[in-house]
Amino acid sequence: MTPTLSHRLDAVARNVVPAALGVFFVLISSIPFYIPGFGPVAPNFVLMAVFFWAVHRIDLFTSVTVFFIGLLLDILVGAPPGINAAVLVLVRTIAASQGKVFRGKSFLVLWWGFGLVALASGLVIWILTAIYHLTLINPLPIIFQMTMTIAAFPFLAWIFARTHQKLFQHV
Amino acid sequence: MRLAAPAKVLLQRFAFLFLILAAFGIMLLSKSETIVVEKVSTVVVDVFAPIMDVLSRPAAAANDAVKTVRGLADLRDENIRLARENERLLVWQEAARRLASQNQALQSLLDFKPSPNSQSIATRVIADSGGAFVRSIVVNAGDRDGVRKGQAAVSGAGLAGRVTTAGYRSARILLITDINSRVPVLIESSRDRAILSGDNSGMPRLTFLPANASIKAGDRVITSGHGGVFPPGLQIGQVVPSGDGVMRVKPNVSFDQLEFVRLVDFAAVSPIVPQGEPAVPPKNAASR
Repeated sequence: MTPTLSHRLDAVARNVVPAALGVFFVLISSIPFYIPGFGPVAPNFVLMAVFFWAVHRIDLFTSVTVFFIGLLLDILVGAPPGINAAVLVLVRTIAASQGKVFRGKSFLVLWWGFGLVALASGLVIWILTAIYHLTLINPLPIIFQMTMTIAAFPFLAWIFARTHQKLFQHV
Repeated sequence: MRLAAPAKVLLQRFAFLFLILAAFGIMLLSKSETIVVEKVSTVVVDVFAPIMDVLSRPAAAANDAVKTVRGLADLRDENIRLARENERLLVWQEAARRLASQNQALQSLLDFKPSPNSQSIATRVIADSGGAFVRSIVVNAGDRDGVRKGQAAVSGAGLAGRVTTAGYRSARILLITDINSRVPVLIESSRDRAILSGDNSGMPRLTFLPANASIKAGDRVITSGHGGVFPPGLQIGQVVPSGDGVMRVKPNVSFDQLEFVRLVDFAAVSPIVPQGEPAVPPKNAASR
């Protein structure tokens, strides 16, 4: 193998990491954890992944990728198909357009931005689900879920940031 | 390919709009063309089932380990409790034996034909709904194992749900707590009929109760067998009054700890029909 080819393969491998992490978190979101009461309020890992990578490496996280990650999440957890796809594409676009605001700033700014995005997407998910089922749905689970998601964000963001650093420090 | 900046922005805008519309299109499609969307979803779940099967094992193992450690801690108490329960159960055993022989005598008197034994399939839960608004699980058995749509999912303590789609090696089960779940039930003591309607909370509501129904907290709720999906007499849970005058049922099954479920094909069991009357068409009568 020529050095250039191996170099390029290496680059490709690095570049698929964000999308692969997205799929991985979809799978993590769908497996059972056996913690009483945890299932319905488990943090939305996929939302965190999409937000983080859209802010930092939007080029590696195309809207088509995000769309299919969302659709996969819908299908695996049995949600109405399309809801998470729409919400995640929306989140990606918002995060990308505000990327400049967040990059290079303190983590608190990023966290604050994520909080707003998470609350907004919770609201959208709630409205879409209610329309889909044509009934009013108790909003408490989604409020809890988004609170958990915002609370868990620093932890996941730390993992993503380390991954980001490791993968792209030479780029 | 390099594009001029304005063209690139335009393309991105277009992609965004297109994808959002596509998402809404799929949502609408899943409402109108249920079968097509269901089929595609089933295939996708089937493809990912082996991966989820592997991924879910560590969590299951950890859960078992925690249970074991907890079990060790209260071994003594548990032992005392079991000894007491054993005493009680011996009395029940005596009663059951008496009733069984009496039942047999009465059956032979009536020339009663017992229903054939139903077949059950043991499955492991490999996915539960992570979403805030869905209550369903995926199990690691499908068409190849004999899983069919409409089969009842039973856990040791009672009814958990019903198979809504069966793929080749996986199947989705709609839990009785899901907003789409409707189960015809019977209050065991008063024989009042009702519909158990899930609302995504842990305790489904009793709806369509007769106005003069005399039910109270702690009454046991069982399937009534109407509609033909579930056989009559499956345990579901106990009545719990909630603040707003709505009667709710606390399911016997603890959905957080659901690791294995049995899928039972009751449709194969012929309904008991009085002689001379035509048989009711089996299953299919059930609505989603």
